[in-house]
Amino acid sequence: MFLIPHARRLGLRLLGKEGDNLMIEMPFNPELEVTAGSGIIANGAITAFLDTALGAAAYDQFETYKKIVTLDLRVDYFEKPEAFSSVIVKTRCLKITEQAVFVQGDAFSKDAITPIAHAVAVFSYEAMTTSVDDTLKSLDGISSGDAG
Amino acid sequence: MIQDFLIKLKKREEFDQNLDISPYAKMMGFRLMREGGELTTVMKFNADLVGSPFPPALHGGTIASLLEMAALMQLIWTIDLAENSTPFPKTIDVTIDYLRSGKPVDTYARAKVFRRGRRFATLHSEAWQIDQKKPIAAAMLHFQMID
Repeated sequence: MFLIPHARRLGLRLLGKEGDNLMIEMPFNPELEVTAGSGIIANGAITAFLDTALGAAAYDQFETYKKIVTLDLRVDYFEKPEAFSSVIVKTRCLKITEQAVFVQGDAFSKDAITPIAHAVAVFSYEAMTTSVDDTLKSLDGISSGDAG
Repeated sequence: MIQDFLIKLKKREEFDQNLDISPYAKMMGFRLMREGGELTTVMKFNADLVGSPFPPALHGGTIASLLEMAALMQLIWTIDLAENSTPFPKTIDVTIDYLRSGKPVDTYARAKVFRRGRRFATLHSEAWQIDQKKPIAAAMLHFQMID
């Protein structure tokens, strides 16, 4: 679903939209564990997931393909994820200006009600050349997270 | 576990070691290096770290993850590892500034302990690639030192 190589590596799956919110899942995978056999996904993987998910919410605001670049990202870690549980991020765009997209999101263990982490990010965006635009839009690509 | 890994290295002035302390660190290809008294965490480039293919650039999330790992390593390195009672530091928050595009090459990160108190530690972490004077990203992090 995600064209971004690292998003694929994390195994991200787009679940769809709930109102203004974009829902994305990172299924549990032993490769993401902080300690082998613990079932707990490493913080770093959750940070990378949030970066991608919030970037996807920013990307989702545009009709044409835009290169989305993270300017800053802030993550608050409330608690550890549930062992062997996938993580779900619920994210929405707060505001778009001529230069920036403001996004926020929360991460949950599957089926949980309270978030395990909260993130806010600001992205910049720029248009791509037409040929790349067409190619990527037709592939339904989502780009995010590359530092620029 | 990470403590055990670091205790062995602490006696050595120089090393360049795979950071295979966790499945995730292994997946990311992290290494830990020490030279000239400085501890550096390295993210070896591989195609799975890419976030944007045109032109190829590192995924911002991988850089965030590297900055956090470098800070955690520096913090645990700084703690007297003999104190077994010290609980494992827990990340409370991280704020990352992305400064330059990450090229598809190896990335290095070094962190500094700004303050280490009884309950909390504040660190600053910086990542660079070819030129250390041109960081590609920087982060401020807080860790909780007690349960």
